[in-house]
Amino acid sequence: MTGPPAEDTAREPGVATGRSRESLHTPTGRSWRALIQPAVIVAAGAAWLAYVENSGLDSIARRSLALDYVARKTWQHVELTLVSTLVVLAVALPLGVLLSRRRFRRATPLVLAVANIGQSAPAIGVVVLLAVLWGIGFWTAIVALVAYGILPALRNTMVGLQQVDPSLTDAARGIGMSAPAVLRRVELPLAAPVILAGIRTTLVLMVGTASIASFISGGGLGDLVTTGVATQRTPVLLTGCVLIALLALLIDWIGGVASRVLGPKGL
Amino acid sequence: MPDAPDAPDAPDPRAGIELTDVTKRYPGQRTAAVDRVTLHIPAGEIVVLLGPSGSGKTTLMRLVNRLIEPTSGTITVAGRDALSLNPTELRRHIGYVIQDAGLFPHMTVATNVGLVPQMLKWDRKRIAARVDELLELVDLPPDRYRARYPRELSGGQQQRVGVARALAADPPVMLMDEPFGALDPITREHLQDSLLGLQDELGKTIVFVTHDIDEALKLGDRIAILDKGSRVAQYGTPQEILLSPADEYVEQFVGGAQSMRLLRFSRVADVPLGETPTARPGDDAAAVRDRIGDADDAFAVVLDDAGRPVRAVTRDDLRDAAGPLGERGAPVPEPLHARDTLQRALEALIQTDHDRVPVVGRGGAFTGTVSLATVQDAVRDMRRAAERRTAGTA
Amino acid sequence: MNFWEYLRSREELLTFETWQHASMVFQCVVAALVIGVAIGLLVYRSPRLSAVATGAAGAAFTIPSLALLGLLITPLGLGVAPSVVALTLYSLLPIVRNTVVGLTGVDRTLVDAARGIGMGRARILLRVELPLAWPVILTGVRVATQLAMGIGAIAAYVSGPGLGEQIFSGLGRLGGANSVNMTLAGTLGVIVLALLFDACFVLIGRLTTPRGIRA
Repeated sequence: MTGPPAEDTAREPGVATGRSRESLHTPTGRSWRALIQPAVIVAAGAAWLAYVENSGLDSIARRSLALDYVARKTWQHVELTLVSTLVVLAVALPLGVLLSRRRFRRATPLVLAVANIGQSAPAIGVVVLLAVLWGIGFWTAIVALVAYGILPALRNTMVGLQQVDPSLTDAARGIGMSAPAVLRRVELPLAAPVILAGIRTTLVLMVGTASIASFISGGGLGDLVTTGVATQRTPVLLTGCVLIALLALLIDWIGGVASRVLGPKGL
Repeated sequence: MPDAPDAPDAPDPRAGIELTDVTKRYPGQRTAAVDRVTLHIPAGEIVVLLGPSGSGKTTLMRLVNRLIEPTSGTITVAGRDALSLNPTELRRHIGYVIQDAGLFPHMTVATNVGLVPQMLKWDRKRIAARVDELLELVDLPPDRYRARYPRELSGGQQQRVGVARALAADPPVMLMDEPFGALDPITREHLQDSLLGLQDELGKTIVFVTHDIDEALKLGDRIAILDKGSRVAQYGTPQEILLSPADEYVEQFVGGAQSMRLLRFSRVADVPLGETPTARPGDDAAAVRDRIGDADDAFAVVLDDAGRPVRAVTRDDLRDAAGPLGERGAPVPEPLHARDTLQRALEALIQTDHDRVPVVGRGGAFTGTVSLATVQDAVRDMRRAAERRTAGTA
Repeated sequence: MNFWEYLRSREELLTFETWQHASMVFQCVVAALVIGVAIGLLVYRSPRLSAVATGAAGAAFTIPSLALLGLLITPLGLGVAPSVVALTLYSLLPIVRNTVVGLTGVDRTLVDAARGIGMGRARILLRVELPLAWPVILTGVRVATQLAMGIGAIAAYVSGPGLGEQIFSGLGRLGGANSVNMTLAGTLGVIVLALLFDACFVLIGRLTTPRGIRA
């Protein structure tokens, strides 16, 4: 894997990942190699569960590690991740496009500055603060995740659109395209790689933050961690940690595949 | 210069470079990049390695300062066995100029130029003085350019700094790897002229790599035309290469000796110079008159202490003169340089009122005189030779 | 009690926790800088090793901090040890990656020029490669610091030091008096610290980057 250019990190400090599209072993096409990584991740998860279920657990641990319970927690984690990511994108993409229109261009530095400040907010602080203000539960967790994820996504969209070569939009206008046509046929396709990388970043950020949701009864695999710590059952704690880590790697892989498949060809 | 070892007009003959049976073979490659090359690069000359890409000319050059280690053979630089020296130490005494200058962007011009002296542990004052002297030498006023960073300079200026950096410790030998390759034609032309001017003053042994035949003809005292594996297809002066290409490869490469090229790349030095008596201001006027002889247009050239032509005195000037020559005579016409092309010489001779114009060599020292007729004769001879050769091969 | 009153009443504790937080992050990042640059120097010459190092750093980056902190409880117990190890590990990732990217990004012709004028290996590294890679490395340190600030807050879950304690106290007293104040104090404290550190980096960047390569 090759690392992303350093400028990536420069543009998105504090974002949980800055890996570029090349950073995954995810060749496109029908190559079976593309499936090695997810297969390894899933196999590792299964192997861990098989090992831990057969390691002579006591009744408390066994209850927390029952397969249907673990499956439910995993699914909750996926739900938290996907729902919050979708909401983030539904808000951040149009807003980002809007804010990068000529009319609002002057506001861009301001928005980016606010986004930078927002990024220095600790995830746990944002999550807990919302719970303290709104009460606990799944939907509070979603709101907290969205609040935490929206600024980086907004920032990515704006940066993506900003770095489109102005001479190209100029050329598009010059051949008589209307403003919406320029956006749809030139700006968005050219900004797509950066925007898609941002989506992947958001996904990974949400997987990680979703594990904190358990602190405010949002569910997810974080529950295994907190239960493990509270009941001092190391196998439960470890299972939670291992599954969160594997899920994060898997979702990052999916994000990588998605940005390859969805990204415009020829760039 | 603080420690110039060699006076400009008498380069230390040991400052040359000898390559003997040098071979460079890369592991896993069937043919050698450099295959048993033997080349003598005389002290104080510009030797151009000319060849297409893949001819190994850069490899050959990089063997000299051991940026590439030869597989076998011997290399002598300035009389010392280069292969027995510490390569880092060796490189500090060989100037190195590359395409795009290769200046360090995080250092000022002064720091860049002063790097080698600094590594040689010169004291700070001496380095500062040397840096200023060098910037002056490459036509960059030190006060304006010393503190600038490379990116604040144009490409041509950067390359001037590159040359200054290479000259910093006054190395007897310089290696230049397509130094002007990335510049626009006008800047390139200008820097080529500056290099010739510098060389006139400094008399370094220079190995110059290029793929540009015109650049090679203009700059080279000698040109080595390289074929695959650094095979030296021909090694000779520009005129030799233009007039008698050793084989078809060379001929194709130089593209035939058109008259334009002959004029543009043959030098005044290639023409037989007329011998003219010389005199010093202190010489006895009567003796000088005798030296001049009886011919109508005869004259003597009066030289200054450095041997540069100052005035011309004719028999008439000295008619009843006695005692030392003093200030008699008329100023000499603008002299031609031995390096000037015949094209420039023809233009100058056509415009001047004088029959004969003095020719100067290194350091502006008088070497002889030349007239329009001699140049025209020489050009005619060259053309004839070229035509004969073309007719013979056709 | 409103927020200001809260801040005033806990001034001493808050100052102490802020100081703890800052000092923990600073020390971990410094450790990560030393280790990270060392790793970068070891691998950057080999494209293979570089790829392995940056790849591993990238993969480790995706692992959520809670998972790593939890994993560290088993060998290290609760308290300062797992917090410091986790913070240092996370800080390492951007530093290693940017060191490798920065060093491999140095124009090879400049290294050739340096060799050509007679610089030795060590001198080329110190005078050419590291200075040119420095802005990129510094960016890595900056990212690492931001990361460590946020993760430092979660470290309170494993009884680590710092402002996270305020946030978890607020969570523990959900609905009770001062829970909002505590959470807010912890969160804002981290934000302010992060911005202060970032400002320092901007300053350090300006002071340590020669004009010739400043963006």
